[in-house]
Amino acid sequence: MKNILVIAWRETRTYFTSPLAYVVIGVFVGLSGYIFWTHLVLYSEFCLRYGGSPYFQNQLNVNDRVIRPLFGSMGVIFLLMTPVVSMRLFAEEKKSGTAELLFTCPVTTAQVIVGKFLGAASLFVVMIGVTIAYPVLILASNTSPEMKPTLVGYLGVFLMALSFLSLGLLISAMTENQIIAAVGAFGASLAFWILPWIAESATITLAGAMNWLTFGLWEKLHLGLGGPTLGDFLTKLSFINHLEDFRKGLFDTEHLVFYVSVVFFSLFLTQRVLDSPRWRG
Amino acid sequence: MIEVAGLTKMYGQRAAVGGISFSVSKGEIAGFLGPNGAGKTTTMRMLTGYVTPTSGTARVAGFDVQDAPIEAKRRIGYLPEHPPLYREMVVRPFLRFVAALRGVPRKEMDGRVDRAVERCGLGPVAGRLIGNLSKGYQQRVGLAQAILHEPDVLILDEPTVGLDPSQIREIRQLIKSFAGEHTVILSTHILAEVTMTCNRVLIINEGRIAADETMETMAARGGSTRRVALRLARVADATEGQIRTIPGVLDVKREDGQDGSFVVETEGARDVREQIAERAVTQGWGLLEMRPVTRSLEDIFIGIIKGEVEGAA
Repeated sequence: MKNILVIAWRETRTYFTSPLAYVVIGVFVGLSGYIFWTHLVLYSEFCLRYGGSPYFQNQLNVNDRVIRPLFGSMGVIFLLMTPVVSMRLFAEEKKSGTAELLFTCPVTTAQVIVGKFLGAASLFVVMIGVTIAYPVLILASNTSPEMKPTLVGYLGVFLMALSFLSLGLLISAMTENQIIAAVGAFGASLAFWILPWIAESATITLAGAMNWLTFGLWEKLHLGLGGPTLGDFLTKLSFINHLEDFRKGLFDTEHLVFYVSVVFFSLFLTQRVLDSPRWRG
Repeated sequence: MIEVAGLTKMYGQRAAVGGISFSVSKGEIAGFLGPNGAGKTTTMRMLTGYVTPTSGTARVAGFDVQDAPIEAKRRIGYLPEHPPLYREMVVRPFLRFVAALRGVPRKEMDGRVDRAVERCGLGPVAGRLIGNLSKGYQQRVGLAQAILHEPDVLILDEPTVGLDPSQIREIRQLIKSFAGEHTVILSTHILAEVTMTCNRVLIINEGRIAADETMETMAARGGSTRRVALRLARVADATEGQIRTIPGVLDVKREDGQDGSFVVETEGARDVREQIAERAVTQGWGLLEMRPVTRSLEDIFIGIIKGEVEGAA
């Protein structure tokens, strides 16, 4: 545990002693702040215009009108910016030779990976932490957002960012070229992001696919051809779909388990990748 | 302290290291000597657990590097060929980071870091960014990082590369000061370095150990004949034959470079210099220079690499 913290702390310091952290945080706050502001202005205009109308009364919810779209935009910004944060994690160590130091010190590969992951995650904590100012700013006006759904939304965005980060960490462990690490991480994240678009056209059922793979044996065994389609399955793997409930303020363990699994699986694969020279000999 | 048995590393079909075995006992300074690409770095990487051997075992302080990596790594200080430094860190925090990773207790941290800074002469740069330091100071930071935790075994891959002559001397002094308490393995392709710092030499060539000897036996090699270099002012065609007639002289060669230069090979047991001088005076050759030629470590090394001298491995 001590080793993990030592590595995580060094990683955090590296981000914050280089311009990287400030550029990333600055761009993130700038973009999300602008989006927040436009939504807030739209909302207040909406309130002024239709505030008196009983028909629109139930649509004038600040959580739905301002905070929910804000979380959606944050998700997109994280999709685009996480590769920049994750690309250097292992690629740089390999390139500069410091990997040789880390892996000849009395620490395990798993400790190094978790340490690096936590170090980079601390940057995300700061990024998201700064945006807590937005709901607080709304509080300063005479309307007040509901706090619990807001916090659930934050949790969702944070979990999704960690999933992107873990994918980026995995790809960074595969190369010593930071640009390849960044492009690969972006591609992987985007692939998970756009899965629902592919899913729409994937109408074949899973059982049908199995039937095709087993040359009709599946049907002969009367295992049935109905049930969920491949599209349903792919939709379950999509990063945005799992964010949807969080944004609404709904806390469902299904989505929590999804993001946590992505993180664990990616970190596990990272460990396999880094240790593979050991069992390949 | 270090026991290596049949260590092999294959890269595809090519054997970078082909089944080498040796052991180094406590307090020794052993030098790995070999041409570029001989497998020195790969061997060191296997000793430190960075590269996994294809077969064979390496034990450090009684712990197998593959089976008990954490225990073995605790006892090793390692300076790779390119010093592993985080360029964006300041020297002292970097050393504290490495000390923490190497398991130095918090209470001793400051003392250990101070000691390493002092031993490697890093005092004047302790507060500077590593990336801004000169190559020599970076090399010293690399060395400081390796000795921080007072390891039983120090593995140094070309520790004096890129340093200026006075720094090289300081680093060699430093390495020598480790003898006795630490076991040191250093690799180099500079022969003088081995002569000056090591008490044992392992010559590696093409992934195999070509020789494994103490410095004394190494120097004693090739001592069956003596050589004398001569330089004469007046040389006639007959001169060569006349030298040959001196008792004890086995062979005479004309040196190509300079007029009147000869190398005389004589029996090892006899010193014929006096007779040569006498003859030179009586014949009026005009003796300008005469000096004994000792066979240098360089000759022995090149001989071993080329396979002319039988290795004692």
